[in-house]
Parts: sequence; C-alpha cells; structure tokens
Amino acid sequence: MFNLMHLKELKGYKDLILRLAWSDFKLRYKNSLLGFMWSLLEPLLMLFVLYIVFTNLMRIQVEHYQLFLLLGIILWNFLDRGTSMSIFGIIGKPSLVQKIYFPRDILIISSCTTALMMTLLEFLVFVIFMAFFRVAPGFSALIFPLVFLFQFLTILGLSLGLSALNVFFRDVQFIWRLIMQVGFFATPVIYPITIFPESLQKFVMLNPMARVLTISRDCILYGTVPGAADLAYVALSSLIVLFIGYLIFDHLDPRFAEAI
Amino acid sequence: MAVVVDHLWKTFQIPHERRTTLFENLTGFLRPNQYETYTVLKDLSFRVEDGESVGIIGDNGSGKSTLLKIIANILKPTRGKVTVDGRMTPFLELGVGFQSDLTARENVDVYATIMGLPRREIRNKMDDIIEFAGLQKFEDTKLKNLSSGMQVRLAFSTAIQTDPDILLVDEVLAVGDMEFQQKCFDVFERYKREGVTILFVSHDLGAVRRFCDKALLLKGGQLVEFGETNRIIDKYIYNSGENPAGDEPGDKSQSSSQAEGGADGEARGDAGGEGKKTRWGNGKVEITGVKLLDKNGRENSNFVFGDPLTVRIFYRANEPVPSPVFGIVFYSQETYCYGTTNEFKGHDAGLISGTGHLDLAINRLPLLAGRFEITVAVASSDYTTAYDWHDRLYSFHVHNPTRELGIFAMDGSWEMVRDEQPL
Repeated sequence: MFNLMHLKELKGYKDLILRLAWSDFKLRYKNSLLGFMWSLLEPLLMLFVLYIVFTNLMRIQVEHYQLFLLLGIILWNFLDRGTSMSIFGIIGKPSLVQKIYFPRDILIISSCTTALMMTLLEFLVFVIFMAFFRVAPGFSALIFPLVFLFQFLTILGLSLGLSALNVFFRDVQFIWRLIMQVGFFATPVIYPITIFPESLQKFVMLNPMARVLTISRDCILYGTVPGAADLAYVALSSLIVLFIGYLIFDHLDPRFAEAI
Repeated sequence: MAVVVDHLWKTFQIPHERRTTLFENLTGFLRPNQYETYTVLKDLSFRVEDGESVGIIGDNGSGKSTLLKIIANILKPTRGKVTVDGRMTPFLELGVGFQSDLTARENVDVYATIMGLPRREIRNKMDDIIEFAGLQKFEDTKLKNLSSGMQVRLAFSTAIQTDPDILLVDEVLAVGDMEFQQKCFDVFERYKREGVTILFVSHDLGAVRRFCDKALLLKGGQLVEFGETNRIIDKYIYNSGENPAGDEPGDKSQSSSQAEGGADGEARGDAGGEGKKTRWGNGKVEITGVKLLDKNGRENSNFVFGDPLTVRIFYRANEPVPSPVFGIVFYSQETYCYGTTNEFKGHDAGLISGTGHLDLAINRLPLLAGRFEITVAVASSDYTTAYDWHDRLYSFHVHNPTRELGIFAMDGSWEMVRDEQPL
C-alpha cells in the first residue's frame, strides 16, 4: 500500500532504478551517429520552426519569446516523454515482469527518471540560451526546482496509472497520444495564457501543467515570485495525481505477470 | 524455516475470447465473457528447512513452474500463503533484461543490479565475471554481436555472483552443452556446501537425484509426496503410468489382465499402422497385447536401471500350433541392442491353442538410460514363417540412478595393484 514502508523498500532499490534509467538513456542514442546531440537538436529544431511561425505569422508579442518558447517546449517534452515512455514500461519488458521479482513500480520510476535525464540535458541548452540572450535569473528562480519536482511527481503519477491500465486495455496508449496532442494546444506551451479568451482562461488554468508552465516562466524569466495559491495548486494536484496513479497501479500489479 | 507453503491454491482464469482493448470490453459488456477457470495448484502445503535442497518433479502441466513463480513472488497465490525467510534469487531465466544493443560489460552491470548485487561489488567483480565467461576480448562488444553461447556464459557468470540464502532454479541447466552443464553443477554444489537453500524444478531426474536431499512430487497440481529424493523419484517413475484399475498388484487374476491386454494390443497395432509397416504375419498365432511390468507387477513405461522388468506377451492361437517361437528385440534409436527368443533361452512353448501369455522376466535391467523400443514377434518353430510381427511397436524409458554414462551398464569393479617402488 501507499505507505512509508514501501518508500523505504524503494530506497533499497535506488541502484536498480538508476541503472535501468541510465541504460535506457544510453540505449536511445546507441545506434545513432550524433548520439546525445540528437537529444539537444530535437528541441532546438522545434524551437526554430515554432519561433519563425509565431513571430512572423502569428505576431506574438512576448518578452524573451525565444526563451519563453524553449522553456515551454522543454517542460512539455518532459511530460510527453515521461508518460509515453512509461506507458510501455510494463508491457515492453515482459521478462522483467515474468521472470524475476522486484517492486514493479521501479520500472515506471526508472522510465520517468530516463525522461528526467533527457530533460536535464535540455536544460543545459536552455542555460546556454539564457546566457546568449543575456537574461539573468533572479532569486525567484530558486522556486523553480520545487515546481519541477511537483511536475516530476505528476508525471510519475500519470505514468503509474497509465502503464498499469495499458496492460489490460491497449487503447490507453492511443487515447493518451490523442490527449497529449490536444493538450499541446490547450496548454500555454507556445503562447501565453493571455491568448485564450478571458472566460476560458479559468478553465485552462485548471490544468496543472498550465500552471507549471506559467509559474516556471514567471520565476525564471520574469523574476516574479509565484503566488502561494498557484504553488499550492500545483503541489496539491501533483500529490493527488500521484496518489490516484499509485492506487491504480497497486490494484492491478498482482495480475501483471499473468496478463502481459 | 526457509520456505513455508501453507494451503496454497492457484487458479488461472482464461477468457474464451481475449479482450485487450477498451472497445472490445465495452462491446462485450452485453455478452458476458466466458471464463475457463483452470486450477493449477490445489491445496499445497510443505516446509523447506534452511540449507535443504529440494527437487520439484512431476509431469508437464503438474504446476511445477507455477509453484516456483509463486514462491518467487512473481505470481500471486489465489488462496493460501507462502512465507519466504531470507534473501532469494530466482534463476528462472538467465540474462533477464539483457539488451542486445548494450555492450557485454554494460549488460553485466544492469543484470547484476537486477539480481540484487550492490554496486561496489559489481565494480569489484566485473573483471572476474568477464574472465569466467571467457569474454575478455569482447567486453566492449555489443551483445547482439556475441554468439548465443557467449551470451549464456555471460549471463551465468553474472548470476552466480549473487549471494542468496534461497535459490530458485527452473530448468536453467537444460540449456548449454555438456561442459556448461558441468559448470552449472559445480556452482550448485558450491551453493549447497555454503548452506544455501535450493528449490530446483527439473525433468532431469538424474540431476535431481544428485543434488537434492529431498524431492517434492506434484501431479495435477496436487502434492503427491514430499520426502527423501530416491524414494520420491522411485514413486514418480513407478506410478506415473496409467494403471488400469484391475491391474493392481493384489488383483492379478489372469483372465482380467488377458482381456485388457488384448484390447490394448489391438489399439496400439492400429495406431502404428499408418506410414511405415509395423505389423505383419499370417495370423495363425496373434499377439493380442504386450505389457511391460515393473517391480511392483504394474504396467509401466518407466523403469530404473537395475530393477526388474517383465515383458508379458498375450497371444491367441487361431489353430493349434506346435512350439511357436516368441521373440523380443530391444532397440535404442537405430541401434539393435539385444534380441532373444524363448527358444534361445531353452524354453519350449509346446503345442498352443486358444489364448494365454508368456513372460520374459529380466531380473536386473542392464539398460542404463534413455528411450528403448521393442519388437515382439511370434514365428514358426523353424523361424521361417512369421505368424505375427509387431515391429518396434512398444517403448519404455529407463532412468539412470547412477552417474555412469551410456545406454547400458557393465557389471564390474576397479582394483589397483601397485608395483613395488624401487628405493
């Protein structure tokens, strides 16, 4: 169950989580010539295209739009990668489920950790960009790691629930792809929240990811300390998502080995 | 107490139509899904003491592997409880989690971590592992470029670095060549000496006999008996045949076994009739059945080297025939092992008419191991006319309780004479 004992158990598997995450990370680039560079190139190319489209065609007026966009892409990618890699975390590793035992959420924690590693690499590029555009983060940026942690917990919660459901209903992976595609445009990833009509903004902000993005930009790029209510919303929603995801996972876990 | 299994039940529900998508589940809502409930383990209870090695034996589908997986915590019991006390390492498959795109060294890293080795130990033992697998030259080669033999060696040498209290082994020894199997045996011997509790699922009764202090016999998901290895294996071999109810040792009235023998023989003759010709003869005397009887006088197809074996031939003479010759030939694959007749043994059948049976009693079976086929025939007294010839229609298995090799054994003993040593 969702208790401290389990956390303690997981701590004993720290090595395994990191080892699995690291080997997955390496595997992603193993057969490519540019290797790690792809990880960096991908968001940069996306940034380039979107930047051209949105500054020239849509004429969006946002301060430091390049950085605004890059941060949005990186954080959205984190969610997208984390969940879509994890969704195959159980069904994609039958021998680890059927031939040996360790707490199976380790598979999901490790795939989320792989996504985390990729995102951290992208942040390196972001820092270089910040230096290039001469934007210095203020003290408010110190809040960001906390927001980032809550985003990680949200991703972990979603991943646990989705990966477990996907063992029994393979539709989940397709439905989730769809949700992510719609979500990309229904969340202020490439444009500010103000682009939505006033009446809609309330609803858009119900999405925790929308708040993660606005808070992160505020505290890193614009030196604004986020409101306590926003922060509390992000924190609380991440814990609720994690809790529900964990419950689903824990409930279905005993049948994994038979159902794969 | 290393492992305690308490009233363990396991049932699988197998849906008649598998629904893996949500759509199928929704549309299927109107037609309730039909499940086949399949009980794999029925009310199993036993205890394994610390340091014991236990062989789990039984036919295919008797629930051996399921039992091992439940003990390994991979499957959950439907009812009952399994308690395991100590660090457990399952060897259900070698090389769990191997990635073909990672190098040998990287794979050892991952696999050793999966098997629960602490990081520092992996670093320390890495070179030993690679060396033991004989892959020093290939440590940075991607796994997919290694031969499957190399991969197995790599997995094995990694797996045996673990330091478990309880070891679960499922037919791992079945892979690999003789040399590799010997390596496996050596390692298991070492574990055993170190006092590791071993649970070993195998079809190789010889291996079970060598390693296990105790054996557990499963049949149809039920525990038949748990006890001293040789006794349990004996029980398995001599009870696994389908014994007709009327053929109990205490109930050997001639007429009943004769009737059954007749029916049995005909059925087998028909089954073997397709393809290669397996039965011929003019039918003056018919062989209506052949039974192989074990030391308990029961029909069986499994025997142990050195135990008695009786071949019982049922006949029907359709007209009076003087001194027909009954013959038997033993084959091992294409090798003609041994042939004899009652006439060779100085036995005369005399004038026969009607029905009856003739026994060839072998007191000590000299065949050592493997599957053997038998030809049974009846012919005229001058060997010129075959009345009824059943060509290799019958077969049996011989199990080897010794460590000697080959298909048959010679009686013999070793003796040493030392020459006088010059001073």
